[in-house]
Amino acid sequence: MILLFLENFKISLSAVFANKTRSILTALGIIIGVLSVTLMGTLISGLDRSFESSMSWLGKDILYVSRYEWFSDMDWWEVRNRPQMLPEYVDKIRERSQYAMAVAPVMQRGASLSYKDKETRTEIFGTNEDYMETISTNIASGRFFTKNEDRSGSRVTVIGDGIKEAFFGDQDPIGQYIKIDNMKFRVIGVLEKQGKFLGFFSVDKQAILPFGAYKRIFSRRGWMRLSVKVPPDKLEEGLDDVTSVMRHIRGLRPNEKNDFAINQTKAFEKQYTSLKLAIGGTGIFITLLSLIVGGIGIMNIMFVSVKERTREIGVRKAIGATSGMIMGQFLMEAVTICLIAGLIGILLAYVFSFFINKIFPSTLPLGLSMVAMLVSMIVGIISGFIPSYRAAKLDPIDSLRYE
Amino acid sequence: MDLISLKNIYKIYNVGGEEVRALDGIDLNIQENEYLAIMGPSGSGKSTLMNMIGCLDTPTSGLYEFEGEMVQVMDDSQLASIRNRKIGFVFQTFNLLPKATAQHNVEIPLIYANIRKDQRAEMASNALESVGLSDRSHHKPNELSGGQRQRVAIARALVNNPSIILADEPTGNLDSKSGHEIMNILDDLHDRGNTIILVTHEDGIAQHAHRVIRLLDGKITEDMKRGST
Repeated sequence: MILLFLENFKISLSAVFANKTRSILTALGIIIGVLSVTLMGTLISGLDRSFESSMSWLGKDILYVSRYEWFSDMDWWEVRNRPQMLPEYVDKIRERSQYAMAVAPVMQRGASLSYKDKETRTEIFGTNEDYMETISTNIASGRFFTKNEDRSGSRVTVIGDGIKEAFFGDQDPIGQYIKIDNMKFRVIGVLEKQGKFLGFFSVDKQAILPFGAYKRIFSRRGWMRLSVKVPPDKLEEGLDDVTSVMRHIRGLRPNEKNDFAINQTKAFEKQYTSLKLAIGGTGIFITLLSLIVGGIGIMNIMFVSVKERTREIGVRKAIGATSGMIMGQFLMEAVTICLIAGLIGILLAYVFSFFINKIFPSTLPLGLSMVAMLVSMIVGIISGFIPSYRAAKLDPIDSLRYE
Repeated sequence: MDLISLKNIYKIYNVGGEEVRALDGIDLNIQENEYLAIMGPSGSGKSTLMNMIGCLDTPTSGLYEFEGEMVQVMDDSQLASIRNRKIGFVFQTFNLLPKATAQHNVEIPLIYANIRKDQRAEMASNALESVGLSDRSHHKPNELSGGQRQRVAIARALVNNPSIILADEPTGNLDSKSGHEIMNILDDLHDRGNTIILVTHEDGIAQHAHRVIRLLDGKITEDMKRGST
């Protein structure tokens, strides 16, 4: 049996290579199918990883209180009429909420940073001493500012790793003065390197200022949000609690709707899951389509192959091949084309993912390659079945006479 | 015991509602080491008879025993096995696989017989040697002359030590010199104890056989034995 298997494999290879152009054209559908399924898988696994690391940056146990929902279908004017977030909410939430462990106001704007002759544009954040508890990043060197520095409006700043690299390189930035929109600030700390959020924008180029100084220098008004840390095992209770505190602050009656939004990473997850499903669904659809088209191509070419080799089939039967052996030979040929196509598809996918990886973190999962090979094989068996069956059932006498 | 025993064999085709009796009550016994020629005009049923003897075809009715085994009740794989082990076919058009070397062509029946690779190679070399083609074993059919191709076909037919060699117009596509060589090989195989059945319409070829049967309209009209000369 093994002998025959090997022999059939050899026959298949020589048949495939004898008609190289034809085989490649036939295999194209399968190649595209395998390529699309593996690339889609690569993309999703890459998304998964960067999503996970980005989510840990946001923090699962943080409630983000602001005017806007992250993902919402509300009318813009309704959102726009909501009142602003105010700095005094920080103390009110601290006082009234039993779950709030840390409350940090965050204001944000673009600013120009410079050190000596170097200059860069980046985002600056104004916040309080609780901020470090609401992000997952740590201080790499130096320290964060204190409550007193915040209250007194001290001009100190904690910079991201990207700014440190750009301005100071290997030098120690602690104690140095940088200019933020031409105001001098003393660097007191550097944040750890964080990488890119969802693979797109870097959060390493930022400077964090005490809220007091930020407000005084840059703006009293403007977009602001609050980051409220709640105990990780009390997310639901924390959400309810902070919601009722906010309603109380705003003086809402029970029948009035919230005029603020409390966002959680859960919202991202929900959004992400539906995005993933959409990508995956489209991928599977394209893959199925091209596999079906590819399979029909294989079937077609196998019919041609059987027809072309009718005489050979007759000879083989005359010298002792059973119908089963002939069937095996042609099935093997179909499977061989599909496996070669699958292999080409996977190799192409590796090459593609190598380049994609340069702009977006992604790797081709090994398991997926094996699934792709298995799928190719199954397509080969299914599409080769009818032509092979026809070959097996050919009458030896008629086949020998076939011209 | 007869090597081949055909009793009252009928092969009836239905062509466009009309009954065609390709074989019309054939009785024929063939002994081991016979050298038999089947002659007759085209349409006389000689090809059908040869396919029947070669187990490529089964009779509509009648009894066919091959080495005492009932052929008409066998299934596809049993028939394939008999063709593989007991019968060696030689065709008018050689019917070699064009992409395979002479050696590989001769090995194919052995592959279907599930014989190990080294043993296969040795058996195929011996068969090629016995038809005088040892030096051409790695040539493909299109690199060989007609006579050489037919010799490869004969080597393929006898490689599995079959009980009979069935040759259907083996010289039909050859010039007379090559044809002569092929007949010498068949004569030689017969001398070494093989049973040979020839299908031909040429008297000169039939001369080589020791027994000649003539067919007409699916019936045996003459069965003539010659003393071996």
